[in-house]
This record gives sequence, C-alpha cells and structure tokens, in this order.
Amino acid sequence: MSEARKPQLVSDPHNLWKGSTGLRQAKRAKAELFQTLGVRVVPDDQKVEMAIKYLDKYRKEVRSFVMAMESCVKCGLCAENCHTYLGTGDPNNIPANRADLIRKVYKRYFTVQGRLFGSLVGAEDLTLDMLEKWYSYFYQCSECRRCGHVCPFGIDTCEVTFVGRQILFNLGIAPQLHTATGKAILETGNHMGLTKPGIEDTLEFLTEEIEEQYGWPIEFPVDKPDSDILYVPSSADFMLNPDTLKGAARFFQYVGANWTISSKIAEAGNFGYLSDQNRVQKELVNRAISEAVKLGCKKIVWGECGHGWRAAKMYIPTKSDYPDVDRIPITHIHDEVVEYIKAGALKLDKGRNPFSVTLHDPCNYVRACGLCDNMRIIMNAVVEDFREMHPCREQNFCCGGGSGILFDDPDMYQFRIEASLKKAEQIRATGAQVLCAPCSICKAQFYPMVKEHKLGVQVKGLIDLVGRALVFPDDQFEDDMEL
Amino acid sequence: MDQFVGQILPYITVAIFLGGITWRIWRWMIPRIVHNITLAPFPSSWFTAIVLMLWQALSFWNLLKFDRPLWVGAWPMHIALLNIVGGHVVGFYTLGLQFHIIAPLIITEHMSEVASDFLGTFFGLVFLAALLYLLYRRFAVEKVKAVSSASDYLHLVLLIAIAALGNYMRLVPEVHMTYAEVREFLAGLFLFSPEPLPENVLFVWKFFLVQVLMIVFPFSKLMHAFGFFWERWIVNRPYKEAPLGLPNAKLQIQK
Repeated sequence: MSEARKPQLVSDPHNLWKGSTGLRQAKRAKAELFQTLGVRVVPDDQKVEMAIKYLDKYRKEVRSFVMAMESCVKCGLCAENCHTYLGTGDPNNIPANRADLIRKVYKRYFTVQGRLFGSLVGAEDLTLDMLEKWYSYFYQCSECRRCGHVCPFGIDTCEVTFVGRQILFNLGIAPQLHTATGKAILETGNHMGLTKPGIEDTLEFLTEEIEEQYGWPIEFPVDKPDSDILYVPSSADFMLNPDTLKGAARFFQYVGANWTISSKIAEAGNFGYLSDQNRVQKELVNRAISEAVKLGCKKIVWGECGHGWRAAKMYIPTKSDYPDVDRIPITHIHDEVVEYIKAGALKLDKGRNPFSVTLHDPCNYVRACGLCDNMRIIMNAVVEDFREMHPCREQNFCCGGGSGILFDDPDMYQFRIEASLKKAEQIRATGAQVLCAPCSICKAQFYPMVKEHKLGVQVKGLIDLVGRALVFPDDQFEDDMEL
Repeated sequence: MDQFVGQILPYITVAIFLGGITWRIWRWMIPRIVHNITLAPFPSSWFTAIVLMLWQALSFWNLLKFDRPLWVGAWPMHIALLNIVGGHVVGFYTLGLQFHIIAPLIITEHMSEVASDFLGTFFGLVFLAALLYLLYRRFAVEKVKAVSSASDYLHLVLLIAIAALGNYMRLVPEVHMTYAEVREFLAGLFLFSPEPLPENVLFVWKFFLVQVLMIVFPFSKLMHAFGFFWERWIVNRPYKEAPLGLPNAKLQIQK
C-alpha cells in the first residue's frame, strides 16, 4: 500500500476516511494534448460563463439528465449503495450529493425556486472552485449505475456524470489518461495505440502460445476480406489479457466461423463514451460499422469489455452515421456462446477448470446490457466449482475502476484501493481461487487490487475459461495456470 | 385578511398550482430521450414496463428492498396521504356517506359516517407519525443529513403543521368542524361565489398552509409525484435483442 493510511468500509462509522488532503484529482491533460483532439482549452476567466452555456445546451437536449436534476427527493437511499462512498466516506461521493454538484448550479440558473430563494433550496452560483469539485468527483464516480438501480425513481447518476464530464471536456478539463486515450482512438482506432504490425505480431505470438498449451495452433485472421463475422476485442487483451483473445479464437475455430479482427477497430471499449461523447466516441462507433462493411461482415461480435459493450449495444444504433447500422446486428460473444451451450453443441470439459471460481458482475453487463443470466449459464457449463458472491447479479458492486478511473498518480491510486474495498470484502467471503471478471477495465483494476487487498486470487475473463474448457479432437491440453 | 385568504387567494393558488405543474412538465418534455438507457433486466414489452413502474409506485419496492428503515416511514406516509387526499374529496362531497353510497343495501348512513371518521383519524395519525419519523431521520441519520438542504426540512415542517392542525381539529371537540360547514365553504369557492371563511382560527390557518403547499408544489421537489413517471419512462423501457447465431459458421444451431 502506498501510504500507511489504512482504508476501511464506511459501514464502520469509527473508520470514516475524511478527505483531509482536500480535493482528489487525477493528473490533467495539457493544452497541447487537447489541441490534438481539436479542443481549445477555455481560459479561466471564461470557464464559468462557457460552462453555463453548455449546461443550458444539454438541459435542452438530454431528458435523462433533466429528470435526474428535477426528481431527486434526497432520501439518502443511494449513499450506502455506492462503493465509492462506502470506501472513501466522503459525503460528496454520495450519489445524491455528487449529482447535487451540478444540481445546485442548475437550480440557480434554470429554476424559479433557485433564482428566487437561492441557498434555501440549495442553489449556488457556478465558480471555478465548483468546477474543480466537478472534476474531482465526476472522475471518482465509476458510472456503474448501481444508484440508478436502487433509486426509487430510477435516477441515473451516470447521466449526470456524463454531462459533467462532457462540459469539463468541452472546457479543456479532463484526465491525462482519458485524453491521451482519446488521441490514440483518433489515430489508431484503439486505446493502446496499437498499429497493424503490432497487432499481427502479438497475434502470431498468441498462435504459438495456443500451440504450446493445446498441442496445435489457431491462426488469428486480421483484416481478412470477405469475412462473415467481425470480432471486436478489447485492445487491452493484446497486452494484458491474452487468454481472452485465445478463448475467443478457440470458440470461433470450434464453430467454424469465417471471422476476422480488424486492425482499424481493435477496440471493444470506448473511452470517448467516458469523457467526450461527441467526436471521440463517434470515431469508434463509426469505425465499427465502416470496417464491417469494408470487410463484408454480416455481423459484429463484441469482445469482453463492460462499458464498451454498453457503448456498443445501446449507443451505436443511435450514434452511428452509417445507414448499415440498421442492417448489421451487433451481439456479445457471451450471448453467442450461450446459444451454442443451450443447444448442447459445444463439448466442454469442466475438468480443465478444476478450481473454485467466483464471478464479478461487470456493472455495464448486468445493469445496462442484461447479461446476468447468460454469464451464469456459461459459468455453470465450464467450471466445476462456481461460487456466487453477495450481493450478486444486478446488485453486484463495481470493481472500483469503472468508467476508466484507473489512475496511477499516488493520491488517485489510494482512491482506487478505497473504492475497491467493498469488492475485496465480497471476494474474500467467497474463498474462491479464481476471480472471473469478464471486462477489461475490471481486469485492469483487479490485477493490482487483488494484491493491495491481499486476496490471493487469479483474475480471468469468462471467455478465457470457455477457451480452456472447449474440447477439440486434436487437443493435448497442458495447464499453464498456477494457483 | 380572512377575505383574502378565503375568497381571493384560493383562485390564485389553483392557477399557480395547475399552471406551474403544466409549465414544469412542459419543460421536461423539451429535451429528448437520446439513447436507450433502460435498466436491466429489460422489460419484454411496454405492458411489462408499465406494470413494473406501477408496482414500484405502489409498493416503493426499491425502498423496501434496499432501505427498510426508510420504507417504514415513507410508504405509510404516502399511502396515508393518498387516502387523506381522497378522503377529503369524497368525505366533504358526500358528507361522510361515501361508503353508504357505494353499497347502500349493506352499509347504513351511520356506519359510513363512523367508517369515514375512523379512517380519517387513522390515516391522519399515521401521516403525522410518519412525517415526524422522516423529519427525525433527516436530523439523526448521518447519510440523510448529509444530503439534506434547508428546503428538505421546510417541506416536512409544512406538511407536519398541516397534518397536526388537521388532527387537532378532528380530535378536539371544541375546535371540531363538521363536514357540512366545510362543504358549504368549499362549494362557494367551486361555484365562484365565495362564502366567508368559517369562524375557526385553526381552520383558517390550515386552509392557508394548504394553499402555501399548493403554491410551492410545482416549484419544488414535491413534483416527484409526476417526476417518478417521467424518470421511469426513461429507465424502464422494453428492449429488443439483436438476433443470435453466427452467419455461415459450419456449426449451426437448429431452431
């Protein structure tokens, strides 16, 4: 742990972590970086005025945001359902209060009661200080929608955080991590900045790894013309989670699909969706459809990525500029695997996954994409000892890294440890050896966090486990996993 | 003053109340529902979505499931309020004979009056007790205190004052008002020939505070009564999944 301060869950009221160091903020992107994204940083003396202009714009455009501004009764239910508040104990991390950072301003400028009665109804002028708070707290929210799930009105704080982050982005305020990733998206079509030669190199290497592990190789097609399926993996899979790519390849090979990966859209995630929902998000949205058309694909199958799958499933249809978006179905690889499992068409050997596994439900899968049941169907088909954590399914807590808040600067890293406290408690209670987290951000959060919380589990994706369990006639399976 | 509160203000109040609600909902309708942000598990049709919505509205299911201590106060408060508002309408209109009118052969006029009295008293007390409990929570429960601003307390205080006056008039014979007296006064207002206010200070105060509540209503969080449906309309809507199956794969699933 980076500091001696030992975080504890807020449910123990004696161990409240009070943010004594003031606002926690991730390292910001510099003006030059913003310039590469076509955004001019707004000078400080114009920030407030511009922010109000943008707020006015979005309140006239986005109903989900307006209803979140207008419907909250401050019942306080969301507080203990937010892992960020549970971990940090900072009252501004209560979802109702986090949304109130904008709501106060919204009331002040756009409501009768706020104009007439001001502070009595909790309205406040917008100041630079308030913008600093926005930056701090909207990048502590992981947009996991758990507060929306439990809210009696269904108020989705995620929608507030989106608008908050978008306004900040428009002003030229965003974390280095998100902005640099945005630049990589525009340049290469993936978060990691992978180029075609890089992608091909990695995949060749993975082909060899598959041969070592299973006794025979599987080729990864890249940019193959006249393919039927475009598979969109997370770019992190090339660097951090190669087993997920291998698993997907084994599945496509097993069912004899004519599939390909595109070097132009080797990205299931979408950091644009998490910071700039205009230019940057649209880049990936449009690449997905245009690449599918170019390669002749009849279907797009999405890889393991939580926010990315939500951005694809729910946003591509309404954001794409290409007419083919209505003709190319987009599905998730889990859903496709489940179809085959249900039909009994896959030979799966649970014995190849002989350890105890618990499933972390990625927020966007369970609360935004309806993948709950399907993940469990796969789980029960491919592992011997599946243990649910509690709460699970739609009520599961976020890993603490949701919405890409995987910051490495010391203060924010400490924040990540605190934000994953609830998760650590859940995982520990299952006593499982393997933690299945079928989402690139979850994986990236867990790799260090299982060490920080001394959980002693291995982190795997779900397709990783499917790939291992699939039985081909030529397989000479050699387990490479050390528990 | 009495003349203003009893004969002029009510018309202003109703105009602000109805106009304010319309204006505010009008403003909600300007922005669009841009993307599908329905919460999973998805309802399969609009019918299921609406049943889900009504079930939430009726049972306060999320409070029951995730915050029982809050549900204990909030649900009885709202149910009591619903009955009180309904009771005021039918009780005064029929002079407490509503149950007799529904089932004239089974329920006598006297039985109906007794039932009306009993239910009014019961829900009045439940309402007051629940409100006091909710106010207590705003002061005593750390997380609720942390999200409260001045207006949150004031709304509760206003409701408590109205409920307390109502209960007091109902329970203390000296200040009790009969249905008939109130009906006569209200009828005058509805027929645009306002009668003078009954000579009962408590009634005048209560009548005034209710009008304050109605004026505040459209410009406050009390609009959540409507906001609930507008918000849920966004987050609980059906979703049609894309068709599954891998085109031209060698291994095809027979359907």
